[in-house]
Amino acid sequence: MKLPYFPGCTLYTRARGLDHSTRAALAALGIELEELPNWTCCGTAFPLAQDSYIGMVAAARILDSAAQHNGRLVTVCSFCYHVLKRVNHSIKNNAEARRKLNDYLEQGYGGETVPVHPLEILKHDVGFEALRARARGRLKGLKVACYYGCLLVRPAAEMAFDDPENPTIMEEFAAALGVEPVHFPYKTACCGSYQVLNAYDVVASRGREILAAAAAHGAQVLITSCPLCQFNLDWLQGRGEGTVLPALPVLYFTQLLGTALELPAEGLGFESHYVDPRPLLLG
Amino acid sequence: MVSVGPSGELCEKISEISGQNPFLCMQCGTCSASCTGIGVMDLLPRQVVRMVQLGRREALACRSIWVCSSCLACTTRCPRGIDIARLMEALRAINLRRGHEVLSPERIPAALLTEVPQMAVTCAFRKLSA
Ligand code: SF4
Ligand code: SF4
Repeated sequence: MKLPYFPGCTLYTRARGLDHSTRAALAALGIELEELPNWTCCGTAFPLAQDSYIGMVAAARILDSAAQHNGRLVTVCSFCYHVLKRVNHSIKNNAEARRKLNDYLEQGYGGETVPVHPLEILKHDVGFEALRARARGRLKGLKVACYYGCLLVRPAAEMAFDDPENPTIMEEFAAALGVEPVHFPYKTACCGSYQVLNAYDVVASRGREILAAAAAHGAQVLITSCPLCQFNLDWLQGRGEGTVLPALPVLYFTQLLGTALELPAEGLGFESHYVDPRPLLLG
Repeated sequence: MVSVGPSGELCEKISEISGQNPFLCMQCGTCSASCTGIGVMDLLPRQVVRMVQLGRREALACRSIWVCSSCLACTTRCPRGIDIARLMEALRAINLRRGHEVLSPERIPAALLTEVPQMAVTCAFRKLSA
């Protein structure tokens, strides 16, 4: 099966590991991602001011260009997924947004594209049972904290991804790989996000809480689909500011998937992590 | 401090930009209890909403609006259905549209700027600079 794919800027630069592991793991499961031609940044922040449509233009253009390919558009970065999904929701449900964006872009897009996240593809297209059969037990017994953060699940009505307070799709995914998902209370807490550049204390204190809670519940690694969550939680520990010992490797869920599928580790992007996950994963 | 006419006008302006009715707030504090940035805020989110109801300029001048991470925890949990993150954004927008910003490139340590994922830079400047 071929599906159109929007990688997003960060996946071409700081989060190459997320891009490479997503493409490789899905390809191993029979899903070929076809990168959209001429894509741009999604805008990164969904505009929360009602009168700000310019912040939706980039995403509206991306969604429209995907509509010419196929019904669905795959994107894995939590920021991109959040922005594409909410802008699409606005275009579908807000006549003024639809008119202004289409006038500006000289297009006639009505919200036909369906942004999908690889976790949804794994659940609904591949199927967790089929995944269970493919994962060869290499990571059996590994204790994994599934960290959703904010953007995948909130706001629930627009994201329609999973329960905003207690999502479980990542735990179901982890269980299918043969690892042991641990339940910890901070899985939808915010890591501080872009405040890393402005109010670093927020990221330091929230990051420590999230890591400590995961470790206290026995986690050996933490997984996420957000390059900024990954960075904040990993960098903090790389600077020696984490309080969890041994340090907790922070992985993309697709890196865990690639490892479970026994894909070559060199292609999964582990070398750019501050806390090296290789000793634990590859032993 | 940014000035926007009498207090009723400020409240109206915020309602218009955010699309939210601040008068629905019953001051329960659920937003504050859920807040990511509360450790470094001067006004709790609940207090920010109260200042908006009263049309008080403190809402525009507080640190809280700039350390909010737009995490939507408050929005998800408010029992009165107020999207508090949108109120925070409206307060930032009024400041930014008058040229009052808090983030400039020279404030960011070079060691961080070269390491941080791109979307953090784009997002932070869109939220915090004019
Ligand atoms: S949670 Fe809602 S009702 Fe309660 S104080 Fe906050 S804004 Fe007001
Ligand atoms: S969106 Fe802002 S105000 Fe609301 S909980 Fe998150 S950090 Fe606090």
